[in-house]
Amino acid sequence: MRLNATLLGFVKKEFAQALRDPKMRMLLFVAPVMQMTLFGVAISSDVKNVRLTYHPRPNDTVLQHVYERALSSGWFVPAQVTTTDPFEQIKNGEADAVLVPPPEGLTQSIGQGEGSGQLQLLINASNVLRAQSTESYIKSIMAEVLKTDLHLLPTSSAIQFEMRILYNPTSRTAIFMVPGVMSMLICLITILLTSMSISREKETGTFEMLVSAPTKPWELILGKTLPYIILGMSNVPLILGVAVFAFGIPMKGSLLVLFFSAFIFVCTTVAIGTLISILTRTQQQSMMGGFLFLFPAIQLSGLTFPLENMPPLMKAVAYLNPLTYFLEMLRNIMLKGGDWKVIGSHLFVLLLMGTALTVTSFKLFKTNLS
Amino acid sequence: MNHQNLPHPQGVGIAVQDLKKRLGPNQALDGVTLNFQAGLMHGLIGPEGAGKTTLLRTLLQLLKPNSGTILYEDEGKATPFTDLRPSIAYMPQQQSLYADLSIGEHLEFFKELYSIPEAEYQQKSEELLKITRLDKFIDRPAGNLSGGMYKKLGLMCSLLRSPRVLLLDEPTNGVDPISRREFWDLLYRLADQKILIIIATAYLDEAERCAQVHLIESGRTLAEGEPRELLKLEGVPNFDALFIARSKRKEGPHATHT
Repeated sequence: MRLNATLLGFVKKEFAQALRDPKMRMLLFVAPVMQMTLFGVAISSDVKNVRLTYHPRPNDTVLQHVYERALSSGWFVPAQVTTTDPFEQIKNGEADAVLVPPPEGLTQSIGQGEGSGQLQLLINASNVLRAQSTESYIKSIMAEVLKTDLHLLPTSSAIQFEMRILYNPTSRTAIFMVPGVMSMLICLITILLTSMSISREKETGTFEMLVSAPTKPWELILGKTLPYIILGMSNVPLILGVAVFAFGIPMKGSLLVLFFSAFIFVCTTVAIGTLISILTRTQQQSMMGGFLFLFPAIQLSGLTFPLENMPPLMKAVAYLNPLTYFLEMLRNIMLKGGDWKVIGSHLFVLLLMGTALTVTSFKLFKTNLS
Repeated sequence: MNHQNLPHPQGVGIAVQDLKKRLGPNQALDGVTLNFQAGLMHGLIGPEGAGKTTLLRTLLQLLKPNSGTILYEDEGKATPFTDLRPSIAYMPQQQSLYADLSIGEHLEFFKELYSIPEAEYQQKSEELLKITRLDKFIDRPAGNLSGGMYKKLGLMCSLLRSPRVLLLDEPTNGVDPISRREFWDLLYRLADQKILIIIATAYLDEAERCAQVHLIESGRTLAEGEPRELLKLEGVPNFDALFIARSKRKEGPHATHT
């Protein structure tokens, strides 16, 4: 019963300390919701409000039609239509994209060449992502116009692609980003809180009282980490709620699997935080240590940059990063319903990492002051 | 060593032999030899930086000495430290309480940290709160307590588990004279219970309140014994004078060298 009492004492104490401070309450419960909303809304590569115009030719009804179609798609907003140099319009920022028909006009061009007319599209590619999206939007609008409005089928290509975009049919960035932001936030909160927990005791001097008590080292470590595992887990439903209800991210997999995966992940990040805490003396050092881990961990997790594009060395680092595994698991569970092969193997890796980190923490933890 | 024929063989005694400890560039303990007899209140008296804290920490094995031995005895028999550890209470010098936790929460936490049975805790905490007169402030956070109240709370947390050895590191440092007297009244009650108390202090007037005093400077013992006898032997009226006399004698030859 000794063990239970000591651990319970720590849980009560850490909770009292963490939840009493209004700033900590903010950090624990308000900040994640705000960050989720902020990241989910702001980090979006959905291209909208592209200012589009065209170079007018007399009686060019097809071009007019294409332009109107483009505007009604919702991706474009009209820019001023003039007969000035289209390059100038892009350069001075009047427009992001200009449709430039051949001198005789698009209508004429299509009529002459049996459906093989030419249309030039000038795009401001100073933002590559935006330019690429603009290009594909216009292409799809053109295809639509040719097929449904002019009843012309493109003759050049032998194969017609019929694409089905799975798991994110509308290509919303949020669907890709939000699970990533969720895993990042859980990682951030648990590492920062845990890394500061033991060093806070060292800094204020209470650590001396703790190590002079007849408490076993593992009771101390567990006592200092268990509360943060619980606090970290309490964030999961909160963040999940924002994802599902505010962003409409599908939750196709099992809640149980999600929570279990989150639990294993939180244990791993708490172990990292504990290790940082053991290696540092002050809260400031811990905070620095925490960020030293977090920045590369977030960058090399596949949150924003696909792992496939990384050079081999960076890829190797990415696969030593627990966030990488949890992020993939979370996307898999939420968007695809959870595939046991992926979840199982990733959970196994996280468990290995967690165990290794915990063993290291126990080895490095000193119950003295030297 | 004379610890084999102690006047109070009941309880825990500690004998320190030629203890040396280097902390960074400082020789914190420079061959200190001391005998803490069971059941008495010992005063470790010395200026700041004399090595009092280091000595207490090595006694608790929070620091490992570079050389020398510490012998723990229980009822006159040599006993390993690990067996005694649960019965040793320690009150560190620096702020060792949680500023954001109340008096009541501190008691609760230390109850669970030390795994004290509920019934024993109830009786003990009630008694301690009454003696210290902190019962009216049970909900006040430690950060808002006065210096004296803070120290009393620290002592209370150490005493919750009825220790047989009590190590106090400058417990009255920065405490007003009235609170100091109250604190000492509390200690006297403990001394009656025949527990070994080792109290480190820089206040020389507190030396006279102890059964045995050990004057320490620069990691060595300057003098030790029963306080009144020590003063009589030296022919000085108080410990201030004794300290000055002893310090001078020790530094004398060095002074002529340099």
